[in-house]
Amino acid sequence: MALDFDPAIIGKIFEETDPVAVSAQEIRDFCAAVGENNPWYTDEDAARKGPYGELTAPPLFVLTFRNGRQFFQNIPRFGKGGFDAGRDVEFLKPVRAGDQITLVSHVKEIYEKTGRSGAMYFVTVRSTVKNQNNEVVAHIDHRFMGRL
Amino acid sequence: MRTLEEIQIGDNIGPEPLFLEKDRVRAYCNAAGLAGVPRFTDDELARKEGLPGMITPGNMSAALIGKLVTDWARPANARLIRLGTTYRSPVLPEHHLSLQGFVTQVDHGERTAELDIWIENEDGDRLVTATATVKFPPKA
Repeated sequence: MALDFDPAIIGKIFEETDPVAVSAQEIRDFCAAVGENNPWYTDEDAARKGPYGELTAPPLFVLTFRNGRQFFQNIPRFGKGGFDAGRDVEFLKPVRAGDQITLVSHVKEIYEKTGRSGAMYFVTVRSTVKNQNNEVVAHIDHRFMGRL
Repeated sequence: MRTLEEIQIGDNIGPEPLFLEKDRVRAYCNAAGLAGVPRFTDDELARKEGLPGMITPGNMSAALIGKLVTDWARPANARLIRLGTTYRSPVLPEHHLSLQGFVTQVDHGERTAELDIWIENEDGDRLVTATATVKFPPKA
């Protein structure tokens, strides 16, 4: 069964989210839940000597930013449901308390593969995470898959 | 581990025991804007979705893997620059899990190391697998 979708959706930007301010408390709550005790994220002196030269959030904090409502509405769906298959994240700039973060997302690719258990579909949505200086903080590829 | 020069392919990272209390998963959900997603916070509602009970968000598994990598990289002042995760099976709270991995590649030109990392359950099943790239500072 061939995947039926409008090829114009590839690369189409869903929406740019409104800026979300990052607070020091949110970073502390994230660190507590993950068990982070690295002083790069909590101690200014240690952070200055670290690789970023300033206090930052842990890299995986970027996965806490939410896409807008149109994100899930625009992901093409095929077959019987599907699930979250994984993430590919490229970290380009650190996130700091006080940053204003926006996300812009588009469908990067859609393809089909047939394995031992039958035909599967794969959809990758790329979110570009930017800060208030219009610097790209991270690229996040969300991979979804399901049976056809 | 202090410099890239001391790292070799096959070096182990971990294993570290991992036991996630349900309240810790809920704390992650609160911190990550997922508090309204029942399959991550409520056993009963998760079972209605056909799951064995509440499950750990994939992003939390990624964060725990990220922590293992950055703790390993810290003595060298090295940075995590890429992480790819594959969710193979749900990660259930209140199981005796472990986080571990090893070095798969060292590039002295780019000053990077590639790692394979995974979360394993009591039966040795790999629930989440990941690859990571760590960038080391220039040679002193």
